Amino acid sequence: MKNKIVISVILSIIIGGYTAISNINSSTQNNEFSIKNGNWKVNPNMDLKDSYQRAYISRIGVFALDDKEALYFLSSKDNDGNPLTSDFDYQIIGTPPKGRYWSYTLYGEDYFLVKNDANIYTINKENLTKDKPILVSSSKKDINWLPSGNETKFHITLRVYNPDESVYKNLESLELPIIKKIEK
Amino acid sequence: MKKIFFYLGIIMVMSICSYNLTIHYIPNIVYAVFHYKIEKNQNIKDNEIKHFDIPSDQSRNVVMPNPDFLYSTIFYDLSEKDLNINANMPDSTYWSVSFYKPNTINWYVKNDREFDTNKLDLTLTLNDSKSEDFITSPVKKGFMIIRILVEKKDKESINYYKSLQKNIILK
Repeated sequence: MKNKIVISVILSIIIGGYTAISNINSSTQNNEFSIKNGNWKVNPNMDLKDSYQRAYISRIGVFALDDKEALYFLSSKDNDGNPLTSDFDYQIIGTPPKGRYWSYTLYGEDYFLVKNDANIYTINKENLTKDKPILVSSSKKDINWLPSGNETKFHITLRVYNPDESVYKNLESLELPIIKKIEK
Repeated sequence: MKKIFFYLGIIMVMSICSYNLTIHYIPNIVYAVFHYKIEKNQNIKDNEIKHFDIPSDQSRNVVMPNPDFLYSTIFYDLSEKDLNINANMPDSTYWSVSFYKPNTINWYVKNDREFDTNKLDLTLTLNDSKSEDFITSPVKKGFMIIRILVEKKDKESINYYKSLQKNIILK
């Protein structure tokens, strides 16, 4: 009797724990808690009172800043809705939301920075060559190059530090840059 | 037959409990693993500061590091005394001080524009205080990050910001 109860409890812990981790991983893939704007997703309310959302954020952006300080827009798809992959090149077209500082950073499927010989991981307000497109590509480009390495799938994060008040008011309909697939 | 329902009942109730506890404590586990890595691999104890280089593809401590920032971190423990942070911060770039609970909630953040000066002199305490220089922590143990934005990645700029980073003093 005792042994069976112990086995039942152990089995329950495994089932509950496994289901919880699977659910969080699945939410991580689908970015379920975010506000969607085109193919970008942004997580406001980073005070994270909801434990499910907190678990999810701790998986993809632990120690992120409160949304009053910075907004993190994440995209894993191009403007046609296809996953971003280094098999293709992309152009980022448009202007980031107004704020003190912004940057585009490319992360691999595992949410770490992508290896590349040039050690370039970000295009930001300072290193952008104005009036030239931002090019996401696995092969070297001369200007505004965001290397995509050798990734089957990748994500692009647009960070905006100290966004203007107006940005918070229409996160769902705000005009955001598009990521367009181009010929290699 | 009754016994089967009894065991199924145990499994169902305990699975729900285990599910909710796992969801609730995932952030604490992520935090504890990071704490363990810093303490064991880098020999940095509580109330000691760790300065990180600008993140690269080799950085594997936390997901989605920002490659535009120099990070300094402290796992603080206020059980025995308050913690004073003193530093000369940059005067021409973004920097911020943020604190986190062990469940990874960011309970405080203040940036360069919100501080009146680039001379940082903060005391983290458990006591109530109305002074701007004293910050009351809601938890005895937590995590602090000082972020410095490195806008230009030339050697001179990086070395300058690193020298400021290294002069952060904890008392």
